Amino acid sequence: MPGHGHPPKWITRFIEWLCAPHLREEVLGDLHERYELWCAQLGQAQAQHRYWREVLAYVRPSIIKRQPVIQRSVKFPNPTTTDMLRNYFKISFRTLGRHKLYTALNVAGLSLGITCFLLIGLYLFDELTFDQQHSRASRIYRAIQHKKTPTEELTIAASSYKVAEEAPKSIGEIENSARIVRTGRANLSNPENKNTFQETVTFGTPGVLKLFDFETIDGDGRSALNEPNSIIIVEELAQRLFNSTQVVGRTVDFEINKPLKITAVLKNHPRNSSFDFKAIVSEATISSDKDFAEWTASWDSQSFMTFFLLKEKASPEVAAKKITDLLKANAKLEAGSSISYTLQPLTDIHLFSDTITEGARNGNVEAMSQGSLLYIKIFAIVALFVLLIACINYMNLATARASNRSKEIGVRKANGAFRYHLINQFLTESLVVTTISFLLAVAIVNLLLPAFNEFTHKELSLGIHSDYRIWLYSLIALFATGLLSGSYPAFLLSSFSPLLLLKNLKLQNRGDLSLRKGLVVFQFTISVVMMIATIVLFQQVQFANNKNLGFNKKLLLVVDINSSKVRSGAETIKTEFSRIAGVKQVSATSRVPGEWKIIPTVQINTEGSSNEPKVAYWIGADENFARTFEVQLLKGRNFNGMSDSTSVILNEAAAKMLNIREVSGQRIGIPSRAMGGSYRPLNKDNQPFNARVIGIVKDFHFQSLREKIAPMVLAYQRNPVHNIDYFTARIEGKDIPATLAQMNDVLAKIDPTHLLEYHFLDEQLARFYAEDQRRETLLIWVALITIFIACLGLFGLATYAAEQRIKEIGVRKVLGAGVMNLTVLLSKDFLKLVLIANGIAFPVAWWATNEWLNDFAYHIQVEWWMFAVSGVLAVAIALATVSYQAIKAALVNPVRSLRSE
Amino acid sequence: MRRSDLGEFEEVVLLAVAALSPKAYSVVIAEELERETGNSVSTGAVHAALQRLEQKGYVSSFLGEATAERGGRRKRLFTVSALGGRILQDVRAVRNRLWERIDSHLLLDWQ
Repeated sequence: MPGHGHPPKWITRFIEWLCAPHLREEVLGDLHERYELWCAQLGQAQAQHRYWREVLAYVRPSIIKRQPVIQRSVKFPNPTTTDMLRNYFKISFRTLGRHKLYTALNVAGLSLGITCFLLIGLYLFDELTFDQQHSRASRIYRAIQHKKTPTEELTIAASSYKVAEEAPKSIGEIENSARIVRTGRANLSNPENKNTFQETVTFGTPGVLKLFDFETIDGDGRSALNEPNSIIIVEELAQRLFNSTQVVGRTVDFEINKPLKITAVLKNHPRNSSFDFKAIVSEATISSDKDFAEWTASWDSQSFMTFFLLKEKASPEVAAKKITDLLKANAKLEAGSSISYTLQPLTDIHLFSDTITEGARNGNVEAMSQGSLLYIKIFAIVALFVLLIACINYMNLATARASNRSKEIGVRKANGAFRYHLINQFLTESLVVTTISFLLAVAIVNLLLPAFNEFTHKELSLGIHSDYRIWLYSLIALFATGLLSGSYPAFLLSSFSPLLLLKNLKLQNRGDLSLRKGLVVFQFTISVVMMIATIVLFQQVQFANNKNLGFNKKLLLVVDINSSKVRSGAETIKTEFSRIAGVKQVSATSRVPGEWKIIPTVQINTEGSSNEPKVAYWIGADENFARTFEVQLLKGRNFNGMSDSTSVILNEAAAKMLNIREVSGQRIGIPSRAMGGSYRPLNKDNQPFNARVIGIVKDFHFQSLREKIAPMVLAYQRNPVHNIDYFTARIEGKDIPATLAQMNDVLAKIDPTHLLEYHFLDEQLARFYAEDQRRETLLIWVALITIFIACLGLFGLATYAAEQRIKEIGVRKVLGAGVMNLTVLLSKDFLKLVLIANGIAFPVAWWATNEWLNDFAYHIQVEWWMFAVSGVLAVAIALATVSYQAIKAALVNPVRSLRSE
Repeated sequence: MRRSDLGEFEEVVLLAVAALSPKAYSVVIAEELERETGNSVSTGAVHAALQRLEQKGYVSSFLGEATAERGGRRKRLFTVSALGGRILQDVRAVRNRLWERIDSHLLLDWQ
C-alpha cells in the first residue's frame, strides 16, 4: 500500500528515460507495484535493494527499442505550444507598435550596426576564401625553399627545375606538379590589325591546367599547354586583341619568339584569386632555348614557382621532408650552406606570405596581391564592436523602460506565468526587432554594395546566389544579436517579485542603473577611440603625401623603356624630348625614386677591406639625374659623361656605411648582385665591378616611408648591373596631353612598335599609401556610425529620464528653477558618463595608434590636440543629443505635469 | 508434432498465464513463479518473455484498469490464445508419452 516511501527517484527517472515511451506505463506500473509488495513483505531496505536488480533486469533491447516515429507524429500532429508562441508574437508586435519612438530608435540602431557588420563581414569572407575556387585546393601546395648560407638566410616561394621535375616521379605522396616562371614583359599583338599590348609573360607547364580549375570560354582547358608555341589568354585580353572571345586557333605575334597559337581562352580571374596572369605560354615553347638548358640542370636554384598536388590524405610535412632528402641526395651545395623545402597550402598564399619572398619573376613583374592578416583582425574586431554597441543600445532602452512594463509583468506572474515564459516573451520581442533590422540591413547593404565594391576593389554581393556560408554566418549573427540584446532585459525583468511589481509600480534598482551607465561608458569609449584613430590615420597619410622626400615629386613624368631599340637610342630620345616645349629636363635611369618594381641590390665593399661585403640598393642614372629630380649633391661632383662609366655617387647612408667622409675617388668593389633572392657574381669570370666614388648626395626617400632610407649607390647609366629602364621628364603643368603626344611621336620614330607607357611619379608615390587611405575612409565611416548609434541610445535614455523625472521638474519649476538650471540638471548625469568614457578611451587610443605608427620608419607624433578634438567632439555630440530632451522637459508647463495626482 | 520454438522459461510463463487467467500480468506471474520455484524472478524477465510470446502469437494482451498500488498506472493483462493452448497441449503430450515409457523400477529408484 502507499505510504512505504518511494524507491530512489533517480533510478525511476533513469528507467523512464531508458524505456520506450509506449511501454513506459506498464513497466513503471509493474515496478511500482512490486516495490510496494516488497515493502510490505520484506521491509524498505530489502525492497530498495531488490528494486535495483529489478530495474537492471529491464535494461534489454526489447524494452529500450522505440517504436517507429510515424506513429508518434500521428499521435501528436502539432507541437502543443503554438498557442503560447503565437501569443508571444502578438504581444511583441503590440508592444512595438505602441512605443513607436523606441521601436524606431532600436531598429535604426540595430540595422545600422548590422549593415556595418554585414559589409565588413562580406569583405572579410572574401579575403579569407582566397583561392578556394579550385576543386582540389585543399591538396595543392606551393613549394617554399629555405636557403641558408653563412652570410644570408632566404625563404623564397620557388624551386629548381630538377626538384619540380623529379619530385612527382620519385615521391609517393605527390600526384602531380605545375610550375610557372614570369620572365618579364613583352608585346603581344594581333597580326591582322596590329593591336599591340605589353603583357607580363608567364611560362607554364601542362600541369598548370591539370592542377587548377581555370574556367574556359573557348578551347580545351586541360591540354592547352601541351604543345610548343601555344598560348592561353584570358577573355579580357582576347577582347582587347581581337574584339572577340572565340579566338581559339588564331595566332598572336609574340615579340621575343615565333608567333603563338591560341589554344584556350580562360574566364577572367575572380577577384579572390591570387593568380592574375593575362596569358600563359607553354613551357615547351622555350624548352630548347640556351637559357633554359641552364635551368634544367640545376637542383639548388630558384627558377620556378612550383605547385604540387598531393595524393588524398598525404601529409605535406612528409612530402616536404622527402623533397628535401631528394635534393640533398642530388645537389652539391657549398660548405656551410643548406637548403630545405616546406609546402605552403594554396589557400594560405594570400594571407600568410609575409615572410616569403616571391620567386621566379623578373624584377619588372608585379608581385601577387597580398592580404594583410593584421587588418583582417582589426576589421573583424571593429565589426564585432559595432554590432555590440547596437546590442547595448537595445539592452539599455529595454531595461530603462522596465518600470513601464512592470504592471504587465506583475499581472502575468500573478496569473501563473513561470519565469521562463517571461524570458521567452522578451527574447521573442528582441528577435522580432533584430529580424526586422536584419531585413532592413540586407536591403541597405544591397544599396551600398556598388559603392563599397568600387572602394574596396572587390566584387562582393549579397543575394540568393551568395555562398551558403555567408547566409549561414549571417543567420548565426542574427540569432546571436537577438539573444544577446534580449537576454539581459529578459533575465532582469523576469526576476522581479510580482508582489513588489504590483504594489509599487516603480522600480528602484540601483545595480541595474549602474550597469546601464557602464554600457553607455563602453559605447562612448569605443566611439572616442575610433575618432582618435581616424584623426591619426588621416594625419599620417597627409604627412606621407606632403613630406619632403629629398627630391621634388611634382610634375615628374616617367616613361617606360619597353624595347631594345628605344634603349639603344636613349641619347637621341633624350635630346628630342628636351626639345619639346613642355619639357624642362630629361633623365634616363634604371629605377626611379618611389619605384613600384623591384630595386635591385648589390654587395659592396671598399677596396682592400677584409670586412664582409655590405648590401646597398642600386640605381643606374645619367648626368641629368640630380638636376631633373632636384636631388642635392652634398660633396664631390656629378657624372660628366661616358668617361664616368666606372664612377659612382653614394647617398649619405651608403657613405656612412662604407665609412667615407670626404670624396677622394675611393675605390670600391661590387662583387655580386641579387638574383632571384641570392647574391650571384656579376659575370662568369667572377670579376667584381670596380668603381671610384666621385660624389655624395643628400639622402632622399626612394622607397615608401615605411622603410628607413637605405644605403644606395647611384651608378652611371652604362653599368654591368642594371640597364636604363625609364626616361623621367620634369614637365610644365600646362597641356600635358600635347606633351605626351609629342613624346609618343619621338618614340615612334625610333621604334614604331613601341607602346607609350607612362606614370606620374606623385601618383605612384600616393599608391604606397592607397591602402592606408582606404582604411582611413573605412574608419571614418565606422566611427560615424558608432557614434550615431551611441547617440541614438543616449537620446532614448535621456527621453526616458526626462519622463521619469517629470514631477520633480514640475516641483522644481514651481519653486523657481530656471530653464538653464533644469537643463544642466538633466544633462549632467549623461555628460559625466561621456567624460569617464574619454578618460578610458585616451590611453587605449594612445597605445593603439602608437603601435600602428611604429610600422612607419617616418611618422608623425601623436599629439594632445588629437585627443582634445575627439573628446570635445564626443561631449558636444552627447550634449546636443541630451539637451534637446532636457530643454523640452524644462519648458513644460508645471501645471500639466503636476495636475494629475 | 511440429517443432516447438518454446523455450523453457517461456513455457513456464505461458503455463502461469494459463493458470492465473484471467488476471495474469507480469507482477503476479513473477510472484507466482517465485513461489513455485523458490528462485527470484524479475518482472523484467517475465515482461520480456511475455513480449516474445505475444510476438509468436501464443498470448494476447490488453490494457486493464489503473490501480493505486501501481501509482495510478494501468497494467497489461495477458490471456493464452488458441494457438498457445494447442502448443501447451502438444508439449504436455510429448512429455506424458515419454514419462509413460520410463521403467517403473527406475521411477522407484528416484523416489
